Amino acid sequence: MSLDELMRCAAIWRGGELSPLATRPTGFAGLDEILPGRGWPQTGLTEFYAATAGLGALQLVLPALAALSRLGHWVIWINPPHVPYAPALDAYGFDLARLLVVELSEQSGAAPDERLWAYEQALRFTDCGAALAWFGDVPTLQLRRLQLAAEAGATWGLAFRPTQAAARASPALLRLMLEAGTTDPEAAPATLEVTLLKARGGRTGRRCQLEM
Amino acid sequence: MSLINELPARGRAALRGMRGTQPERIATPAIARPRAQTGRLWLHLHLPQLALEVLTRGSDAARACVLVDGTSSRRARILLTNSRAAALGIRAGMPLAAAHAMAELTVIERQAHAERQALEQICQWAVQFTPVVSAVPPDGLVLEIRGSLRLFGGVPGLSQRLRQGLRELGYRADYAIAPTPLAAALLARSEPRTVLHELHQLSSGLAHLPLTALRLDAAAQAALAQLGVRQLGDCRRLPRAGLARRLSPALLDLFDRLFGQVADCRPVFELPRQFDAEIDLPWEVDNTRGLLCAAERLLHELQGYLVANSAMTRCLHWHLIDRQGAREDFQLGLMRPGRDCRQLLLLMRETLARKRLGMPVCRIGLHVDDLVFGASLPPQDLFAHRPQEGDEAYAGFIDRLRARCGDEALRGLRLDGGHRPEYAFRWQRPAAVDERQRIAPTVARGSRAQRPLWLLERPLRLDTQDERPWFDGPLRLCPERERIQGGWWDGGQVDRDYFRATTSRGGRLWVYRELRGPGQWYLHGFFD
Repeated sequence: MSLDELMRCAAIWRGGELSPLATRPTGFAGLDEILPGRGWPQTGLTEFYAATAGLGALQLVLPALAALSRLGHWVIWINPPHVPYAPALDAYGFDLARLLVVELSEQSGAAPDERLWAYEQALRFTDCGAALAWFGDVPTLQLRRLQLAAEAGATWGLAFRPTQAAARASPALLRLMLEAGTTDPEAAPATLEVTLLKARGGRTGRRCQLEM
Repeated sequence: MSLINELPARGRAALRGMRGTQPERIATPAIARPRAQTGRLWLHLHLPQLALEVLTRGSDAARACVLVDGTSSRRARILLTNSRAAALGIRAGMPLAAAHAMAELTVIERQAHAERQALEQICQWAVQFTPVVSAVPPDGLVLEIRGSLRLFGGVPGLSQRLRQGLRELGYRADYAIAPTPLAAALLARSEPRTVLHELHQLSSGLAHLPLTALRLDAAAQAALAQLGVRQLGDCRRLPRAGLARRLSPALLDLFDRLFGQVADCRPVFELPRQFDAEIDLPWEVDNTRGLLCAAERLLHELQGYLVANSAMTRCLHWHLIDRQGAREDFQLGLMRPGRDCRQLLLLMRETLARKRLGMPVCRIGLHVDDLVFGASLPPQDLFAHRPQEGDEAYAGFIDRLRARCGDEALRGLRLDGGHRPEYAFRWQRPAAVDERQRIAPTVARGSRAQRPLWLLERPLRLDTQDERPWFDGPLRLCPERERIQGGWWDGGQVDRDYFRATTSRGGRLWVYRELRGPGQWYLHGFFD
């Protein structure tokens, strides 16, 4: 039996053709190309590992978030590192009436698990379209819990984590490594290189360069 | 002519036995009066353990408790025992010293004031079942239920709900139903669960009850016992005039009211304008978990009160009091008016979990004055953006987060047309469900590239090396600059030249240079 015949056999599923999830376009053609289902997943956890601030992690997701907010879904930010700047969000067409910031900083006496609890609540909240959270090292068991919560609430969970955490296993559906694209500092348009560390229903290791 | 007239009257009198001696009584329309009452049906709730339960219901810990009338006296006798103490063989009437020898007990002193207050609170709760509720001190209340029967599923449905509800408040209750309030009280005390619908059933239904159920004073009780009268039926057969002379006319009146021959007017309980309730904890509590049981009881009471008012509330004021009388207040706010006990309890649990008690608490209270009427109606906005259920879920989510993380943890953002970067937005409370409207942007939408997505709460001062700002290495500045100046009128004066900058690792920053002073560099945002 030749390989071609084998591949035509209906009993064999090919991983690349499986796109188990509903997706929505990212707004970046190059990114759509490499993502499973050609877009951001609508539910489940997506992890972003950015080497440094200001690479463009938010720009990557803002077109999708703005679309969600305009559809009337809540977009909840748990413990953002800085102030989400309203005029810039507005420039993306983000409906600010649908934005909610939950601030549980350690100064206010919130334990780390409190933040995870709040994140889980947001993920389970069915009217929430996307919940963004920034956290470092979290036990895999907790991540699993968050992943399940996101599936239960049909919410897109975006977790922004430091690159050190990328080496650990995670139950997230999609994990992306973000790096500065060009090493040449004089290159005029800044570029962002996105690498898929994990993509359920897609191929890992695919990468693309995006102009920011 | 007069003879013929008198005959039937005499005949009636003869049938009635003791009435015969009172011609003026015959002249009164003895039949018309009861008819005025036939419409009414009374349910009496008898709370045999009230005096003890009032003081122990704030805790669900299983301890053997006994109630006495003053612990100081060495010969104090036990008035009531809870089920745990009863299981240990301790009975009411036992000397306290003897009971102490049998088991480890928590001795609780009776507080008549607390009982009266509790009875009021129960009345307040019971108004949800019927508008006519009246307290029967010291340990009962009576409800007029004729009009409520159909709504609550007849006698079985109503009595079930009442008993279940009272259990949730922490009371055990017996009930009986009769066409007069007194008869219902008598039956509830001596033959619980009896149901008599019609007046004519009373004579036979009450005849065999012991006289003690009437709660006469000791002298009258003794006098009747001397006459050999032990049951109601016996007493009623005695000649009225004699009875009135030997004992008291009040006794006759009592009988008339009991059998519905005279109207029995009861003061109708009036709902107070605001909800106020407190529970004395049987022992001091120093962790918040110990408060949950009492909080749940108070929330059940509140729910009853709000249902009775057809109202909801948005804010619950709690207070905790320690033995010295020091008081700690806290609030539980709701996004959307509510009264559901389970939902409120969930929020209360989160609020308490976040709280640390500064003192051992011996009393917990709840006060609600913000009543929202007609809140279950759909909002006035005809073109509501989203369906009701979504708003419900949103309100629940916000309330949960607030209860656990505090009020200030949740914020929304809006544009505020300031020219200076710090004044271009404003934090606000999360949009309430009904006040959600879009705030039209006061400034024209800029291009995406003009402003960073992150703004630093406070600008970060940057080091400089060879006149170049430094962050993670030397910064490379874009040639275009944006000058932002102003604010001298409100004290927040700004004179800055903004630049976009790139770090050696590819991060894009928004930095500015002060135009005043030495020209210090600051980091103000990230183009993330």
